[in-house]
Amino acid sequence: MPEHRPLILNAFTMSAASHLNYGLWRHPDDSSWRYNELDHWTGLARTLEEGGFDSLFIADALGQLDTHGGSADASLRTGTQSPLSDPLLLVSAMAAVTQHLGIGVTVSTTYEHPYLLARKFTTLDHLSNGRIGWNIVTSQLDSAARNLGLEAQLPHDERYERADEFLDVVYKLWERSWDDDAVLRDRERGIYTEPSRVHPIGHSGRWYTVPGAHLSEPSPQRTPVLFQAGGSPRGQRFAGQHAELVFVAGANAAGIRRSVDAIKAFAVEAGRAPDAIRFVAPVAVVTGADDAAAEAKLAEYRRHYDAEGAIVHYSASTGIDFSAHDLDAPIRHQETNANRSLLSNLTNDPTRATPWTLREALAPAQGFGRHKTLVGGPVAVADALQLWLRDTGTDGINLSAVVNPGSFTEFAQFVVPELRRRGLLAPRPATPRTLRERLFGHAGLPADHPGHRHAVARTAPRHP
Amino acid sequence: MSHSEKPRAPLILNGFGMNVVGHVSAGLWRHPRDQAHRYTTLGYWVELARLLERGGFDGMFLADAVGHLDVYGGNADASLRTAAQSPVNDPLLLVSAMAAATEHLGFGITVSTTYEQPYLLARKFTTLDHLTNGRIAWNVVTSMLESAARNLGLGQQINHDERYDRAQEFLEVTYKLWEGSWEEGAVVRDRERGVYTDPSKVHPIRHKGRWYDVPGAHLSEPSPQRTPVIYQAGTSPRGKLFAALNAEVIFLGGTNPAAIRRSVEAIRAQAVALGRAPDAIKFITAVSVVAAATDAQAEEKYRDYLSYTSTEAALALFSAWTGVDWSAYPADHPLEYIETNASRSILAALSQVDAGRRWTVGGIAEYIGVGGIHPTLVGGPAKVADALEALAEGAGVDGFNLAYAISPGSFEEFVEFVVPELRARGRIKPRAYKPVTLRERLLGDGLARLRDDHPGAAFRSLSQLSPALSFEPTPVP
Repeated sequence: MPEHRPLILNAFTMSAASHLNYGLWRHPDDSSWRYNELDHWTGLARTLEEGGFDSLFIADALGQLDTHGGSADASLRTGTQSPLSDPLLLVSAMAAVTQHLGIGVTVSTTYEHPYLLARKFTTLDHLSNGRIGWNIVTSQLDSAARNLGLEAQLPHDERYERADEFLDVVYKLWERSWDDDAVLRDRERGIYTEPSRVHPIGHSGRWYTVPGAHLSEPSPQRTPVLFQAGGSPRGQRFAGQHAELVFVAGANAAGIRRSVDAIKAFAVEAGRAPDAIRFVAPVAVVTGADDAAAEAKLAEYRRHYDAEGAIVHYSASTGIDFSAHDLDAPIRHQETNANRSLLSNLTNDPTRATPWTLREALAPAQGFGRHKTLVGGPVAVADALQLWLRDTGTDGINLSAVVNPGSFTEFAQFVVPELRRRGLLAPRPATPRTLRERLFGHAGLPADHPGHRHAVARTAPRHP
Repeated sequence: MSHSEKPRAPLILNGFGMNVVGHVSAGLWRHPRDQAHRYTTLGYWVELARLLERGGFDGMFLADAVGHLDVYGGNADASLRTAAQSPVNDPLLLVSAMAAATEHLGFGITVSTTYEQPYLLARKFTTLDHLTNGRIAWNVVTSMLESAARNLGLGQQINHDERYDRAQEFLEVTYKLWEGSWEEGAVVRDRERGVYTDPSKVHPIRHKGRWYDVPGAHLSEPSPQRTPVIYQAGTSPRGKLFAALNAEVIFLGGTNPAAIRRSVEAIRAQAVALGRAPDAIKFITAVSVVAAATDAQAEEKYRDYLSYTSTEAALALFSAWTGVDWSAYPADHPLEYIETNASRSILAALSQVDAGRRWTVGGIAEYIGVGGIHPTLVGGPAKVADALEALAEGAGVDGFNLAYAISPGSFEEFVEFVVPELRARGRIKPRAYKPVTLRERLLGDGLARLRDDHPGAAFRSLSQLSPALSFEPTPVP
């Protein structure tokens, strides 16, 4: 890190009974199954805000997980990311009970129209006073495509080309269409909006034709904070161009560092500063008052872990049916149209002589799940976390719950004070700030971001 | 006349709004007491929801449009300048915050079938039905603005009747997802056996139609109402047929009670011909109320409101509603019936129905100023209650969408002055001891789910899921 910036503390979840904590819905302390109840979410939002988290990030998918065994049966039975609710609709309730917490939500560019998606994020950015982030995905599930008017999903690289144009459209709507002084709200002269300061964007491209002006007046951040998680070379290029915060997947520090370096190189290639993007990787933390308490908890959690759920999720993410795969046979590379990076992390790991086996992939030595698990009392976790951040080159974590909300409350109770003592966390600002200000220190898109040129057009001197 | 002998049913009362500054009252955002410019803040909506719930309202009804109003003068300037439904934010995203602050209030939200995928729309309403504990309704519209079509990948608006054919198939897909895909008891949440959902009770819908192919199962587990309460407001012949088949609550605009009654009777007869019970559908119309402690104070308030109306705003709205650019006509120009693709029913309602009045462009602008094209009732508690009862009786409707002159002021005044009077007359439905679903509140006890005579109920039977059962458009009687 070129300068000392506080680490980013995201909570990571999904509007489902089981996200990455396969089988843990069976644990008596887990209340993820209450995902359809509003007070589950408002309670979680308050817990995170009080616990010093920067933001809550909610993943999404638009199809059932049906690669495993060729059907959705195993995902339904194990509750793995199915059933599933719409995360965007949770935001306003959580925003109403918090003032500081950022809220990032996954929405796919493949099944949304930019004109309406732009209005959704502007609406939420208004309602949250500038605390909204958008995790841009292009969708990887064939099961989604089939139900949404496509025979199969679009080819991988084409999804990103289309996403590039999608972003061009929404940048124009968010950054250029309405001048900063367009809304006058002048009761005397009867002018709410000065029409000469609202501009049709005149977009006409390969995928989208959007001639008109944005439907909504500008919100505090205009463009939501842009999250991205693409790990394939094409996805990394996309992230290098557009993302402000990147989620890097994996349980292996060297693999994550390679992704971070690759995306930074793409950012530089796109004309952005090497530190323009901040990185977080998913981490699970099992903690307690001391190491022994944490170890005991881990042992108990592992009894509820459901490897079948993990295999279901891996199969869907990689596009490969692992239902009949020998747990101890090496995982070989295959060309698929799904999440390419996840697979290549395992099949092409230069730190190892042999490829990963499924058993290793699903049950990393330290814990479980598909990400790093840190176990111990406050000091041990803080030490391990600092080492992890150094080895991966990341700026923070996506804390994934083992039990919800217990994993978040325990992190706040045991680990946050230790991190604060070490000066790793930012003190809460006296007055609420936008999510972009909280994470980056600036309010608008920076000058080297591709959306910025539309802001330049907006603020250029007007011709009489 | 205020105390009739026979017992009267409670009226359905919705607060009527939109995620905008100016909804139907043109120019009133300039009134010093109007707070609607706070529409971008959660506090505004949460307070409004609490007010309506406290005041005995059944629900909040939010309109929407996904285009600028650009018919007047051929551009959006007038609507932007006067905040006439522009800017416009997304209404669906407001619901969870308001639901968290209330227990009884229903939320009817407008979403167009034209720019959504049924597979994802079904998940949205299931999500909101869960989060509200069964208090959500969907006002099904097919979108009427050319300005929306142009920005959403359509060269121009799809032909009027074809929009409804497509909407019918859209609903069929969502009925299958909501009613048939997940059986009762599919979610077992059995910790011992490690079974969250019993996969044998989750069924792919295998829908293959003219517009949509949806082979898979619903993404979400069943919510309290499964299908949201279906609202509809189509008043063209094709729109009425669509409503007679699908709607549980029909919203009919208009200025003339006798004409509304004719529509109610025609739609009800059509619904019965389609196999639905005569009482399967509730009807509401829109009204604006300017209320105060006395008639004189209300009249004074009304004059005050009128002084803030804007002709430009009124005509921007009226041009969008009719598809006719009224900027080209002088104020004394008589309204003519002009066939357009946009809401042909509004012109018909005005020029055919209210035959007693010769409408001019200036006259309509003045009339629209407070309350839009709907009737505006002005008076103290008894006078307004009398007028509401008479309007319900004359129009044959079960209740009202209450539009505001100023927000939340108009709702506050209604709650303060009119609700106690209506309550005394037994016209406000008492709040249930325990919160109930919106469908139960509107249609009756035990009706949390679609009535058996509703076409969506047919898809509860697995045999109806495959092959597709299609409703062929029936010739309009």
